Amino acid sequence: MKRRSFLKGTLATGAAAVAVNAGLLTPSTVLADWNKKAFNAKAPEDALNAAFGMSNATASSDIDLGAPAIAENGAVTPIKVDATKMAGVESIAILASKNPFPFVCEYSFSGPALGYVSTRIKMGETQNVVAIVKAGGKLYKAEQEVKVTIGGCGG
Amino acid sequence: MSIKIRMRGKVKGDVAEVKALIKHKMESGARMNKKTGKPYPAEFIDVVDVSINGTKAVDAQWSGAVSANPYMGVMMKAAKGDEVTLSLKDNTGATGSQTIKLR
Repeated sequence: MKRRSFLKGTLATGAAAVAVNAGLLTPSTVLADWNKKAFNAKAPEDALNAAFGMSNATASSDIDLGAPAIAENGAVTPIKVDATKMAGVESIAILASKNPFPFVCEYSFSGPALGYVSTRIKMGETQNVVAIVKAGGKLYKAEQEVKVTIGGCGG
Repeated sequence: MSIKIRMRGKVKGDVAEVKALIKHKMESGARMNKKTGKPYPAEFIDVVDVSINGTKAVDAQWSGAVSANPYMGVMMKAAKGDEVTLSLKDNTGATGSQTIKLR
């Protein structure tokens, strides 16, 4: 009986190992950890401190922030941040200043990536969209007001 | 359960723009169910990784404030035929991944 259960055990673990090798079970450690503190911050400054360890950003005209002047549907606001003119872009974050949780998303770049992001975000009300670009260890920002006719944060 | 991703990438010169459309409801956890008075539980993609020929290029973190069925566009230095892989997971543990060859 002992021998039987021993065989069963080895067979089961063997199958699991094969699955990992074949890429069927991707270990969760491959993907980076989610920055809970930044995303749960209720003020834009707190979110920046949690994400970058600093919150003072200098306005820069090298950041091309593409956002609509009027968003008819706040649930789908197209945003484009182009910082390809800047050198050494490490990451780009997009904040909606008056959303319940202002920190919307963050992209960090390495190797062959260029400092460019386009996405669609939800906006609860008329407010400023802030693009934060981290380049050479410093923060730069570009802001634009977006008028929202229908809010997109539920309610 | 895997998340559906549609991806396209085109090379212009030595730069490729990779665009992805992901099928996901991106429930932020704040929307109320009017019938029960309770919020719909949060379910959104939180981590997205893009790599090219096995080298990590973009590592993104999202919140529930990214629109439903998210669109994402990124750029990277690349040549035709390079393989770009996008992998992601949501806060409930569902994952998805897609690999394409740049045209």
